[in-house]
Amino acid sequence: MNRIGLIGNPNTGKTSLFNALTRSYAYIGNWSGVTVEKKVGQLINRQGSLTDLPGVYSLNPLSKDEGVTACYMLDEEPARVINVVDASQLERNLLLTLQLLEHGCEVVVALNMVDLAELRGIHVDAEKLSRDLGVRVVPVVARAGKGIDELLSSVSAPCAAASGDSESDDSGDTGDSIPVDYGPALERVIRETMKALPEGIKRKRWIAVQFLEGNEPVADWLRRRLPEAELLRLRELAEKVVRESGGSSCSEWIRQCRMARIKACAEACLRLERTAREPLSQRLDRLLTHRWLGIPIFVLLMFLTFKLTFDWVGVRISDALDGWMQGPAAEALNRALTYAGAGDFGKALIMDGIWAGVGGVIVFVPQIFILFFILSFIEDSGYMARIATVMDRLLEKAGLNGKAFISMIIGFGCNVPGVMAARTIDQPKERLIAILLTPLMSCSARLTVYSLFVGTFFKSHQAAIVLALYVMGIALALALAKLFAKWIAGDEPSVFVVELPPYRFPQWKTLSRSTWEKGKGFMRKAGTFILGGSVVIWLLSAMGPSGWGSDIRHSFLHMLGSWFAPLLSPLGFGSWQSASSLITGFFAKEVVVSTMNIIYAAPTEAGLGSELTRFLTPLQAFSFMAFTLLYVPCLATVGVIRKETGSARWTWFSVGYSLAIAYIVSLLIYRAGLWLGMQ
Amino acid sequence: MKLTDTVSGAYVRITRFDSVNAFVRRRLSDLCIAEGSVVTLLQTLPFRGPCVIGAEGQSVAIRRSDADNIEVEAV
Repeated sequence: MNRIGLIGNPNTGKTSLFNALTRSYAYIGNWSGVTVEKKVGQLINRQGSLTDLPGVYSLNPLSKDEGVTACYMLDEEPARVINVVDASQLERNLLLTLQLLEHGCEVVVALNMVDLAELRGIHVDAEKLSRDLGVRVVPVVARAGKGIDELLSSVSAPCAAASGDSESDDSGDTGDSIPVDYGPALERVIRETMKALPEGIKRKRWIAVQFLEGNEPVADWLRRRLPEAELLRLRELAEKVVRESGGSSCSEWIRQCRMARIKACAEACLRLERTAREPLSQRLDRLLTHRWLGIPIFVLLMFLTFKLTFDWVGVRISDALDGWMQGPAAEALNRALTYAGAGDFGKALIMDGIWAGVGGVIVFVPQIFILFFILSFIEDSGYMARIATVMDRLLEKAGLNGKAFISMIIGFGCNVPGVMAARTIDQPKERLIAILLTPLMSCSARLTVYSLFVGTFFKSHQAAIVLALYVMGIALALALAKLFAKWIAGDEPSVFVVELPPYRFPQWKTLSRSTWEKGKGFMRKAGTFILGGSVVIWLLSAMGPSGWGSDIRHSFLHMLGSWFAPLLSPLGFGSWQSASSLITGFFAKEVVVSTMNIIYAAPTEAGLGSELTRFLTPLQAFSFMAFTLLYVPCLATVGVIRKETGSARWTWFSVGYSLAIAYIVSLLIYRAGLWLGMQ
Repeated sequence: MKLTDTVSGAYVRITRFDSVNAFVRRRLSDLCIAEGSVVTLLQTLPFRGPCVIGAEGQSVAIRRSDADNIEVEAV
């Protein structure tokens, strides 16, 4: 099988290229760190498989997601890689290319975004570059699909150099085959390191150089094969010879040698035209990262997002859908069931269980898609990195890092990818804090609960109330970050470096696909989890200790809710209905809505809304919404927290602290409201 | 002079870099920003917030405390 790796700097369009080269679809965004895990896809011509790897600047990793790429090169030993190079940042990108050449696998350079580079007056001569590096160079525009065929055919050809790597182990030091010459002194140490390596190891030169440069995954790999003392001696020797040659450190020396090599290469194949115009991105940034206007603009954009989702567009479509589903569609289904000869049990299960439970969630699909659409737009435009920048000071004060805000915003869509996006945070402890706090971000599933409640209780201020809940989530996250940072992070210095990619206008195709990919998860949940949950909840509501078909007040669901209800009454919603919806809501927060739809299987025309107003006051409803926002991450999020932290202790902690916070906050809201004279 | 003392938009060359946090230094070198690079201060955010620096057509945001440690000279 022809296995090919896809490697490049962050934000060079690897994922776009991956999508163009394979049948599968992966998630695209214009910010560093979109790909946090490797993904494998079939090439469209079925000539092999392609592995998309997290973007790296170097094979010597600094953070966890970069380590994935280093380990891939070390353990999987791909025979061939496609190295995506951003044509407008040639020199920087070549730092990685040189390391790939040292690795010895067959490299095909995909020179991407040549169109944007030309616009900026940067002309790269692909042929000269190819000759200089001794590899194939294919100019492409991944987003527009240009050059893809040529790239495909050049990577599908049988591996010409398949033998090259294994047999050339020792030829690493024979003159012209070395991509970079590190000077006689260091080269001697490199050769010595290569000799020390056990027999049968491939890619000796690459391993030696990476080790001396300070690559930790490579060093770990070597520690399993060579005595620690020997490794230490080699590193010290390298440092010593570098200092004798006038360098400051071995890694810096290696970098400078590579840069010198790149400068020579750039001179031959790079032509720059001075463009008088300031790049559009910089002009936009003068506004969007403006000293004083940056944060207000961000808050305004967020507010517009909620207005669009709740007031202007989303709610109208959802209401229309709801009317149709409860009216004509329900009637038609009822008639069809009667016609098909369904018994009372079957009819009740389908109408009161599945239709009420799943339908109650499905009506919010339009709103969720609008939110996902806007989030995709933000991700793809390049604004995400600016958000991290303008919010960094605030988050730094809270003991976090601007990048944590990216996790939080992604978490607005769904907490699961939000938790995963925390991988781009470089400091492990800051990362842990971001993971623990992302579930406080109000995700689209919770939106169903808010939509139901604000539509019922706060008709005239829907967007403002929902925005208040989102802001509450963020405010609590910041306050807790401060606490956690003291307790977890100790004195670890916080760092923040973020690249601000050029803005681009998202393509309609990418936007619609990425909205659909995110929304699909929601639909899938509706078809599996929520469907199953609705059936179980309906059965629990129709069965009781006394048997089948008993009144709901003697059902198992009632019993379950009644046990927990007294605990919740100080918060203002101590009814068994609220308690049982919250319990079932742990599986997925939308299930809160499904459960309510089933419990209040509304006999009246006005539906669930009017039933709810009989049981709750607006103040109690707000307290309930706050509790729903905070009380526990949903099952899927708990799963991903477990995976990302690798610790059961922290997973339990995230469940426990959020429960405590939810209780305290709802209690405060309810008591303060009562004290202020609200009902 | 320090990078943060320069006028926004003026091009300067980095002369000293060693007192910058090691992690930040490494990341900036990955972006080809090191001693000898020509950079410019594009934007500073209030309350000693991050600085956006431009170099070779790219923009990078770093913390103010790190930017304060970058010594530069006029080009």
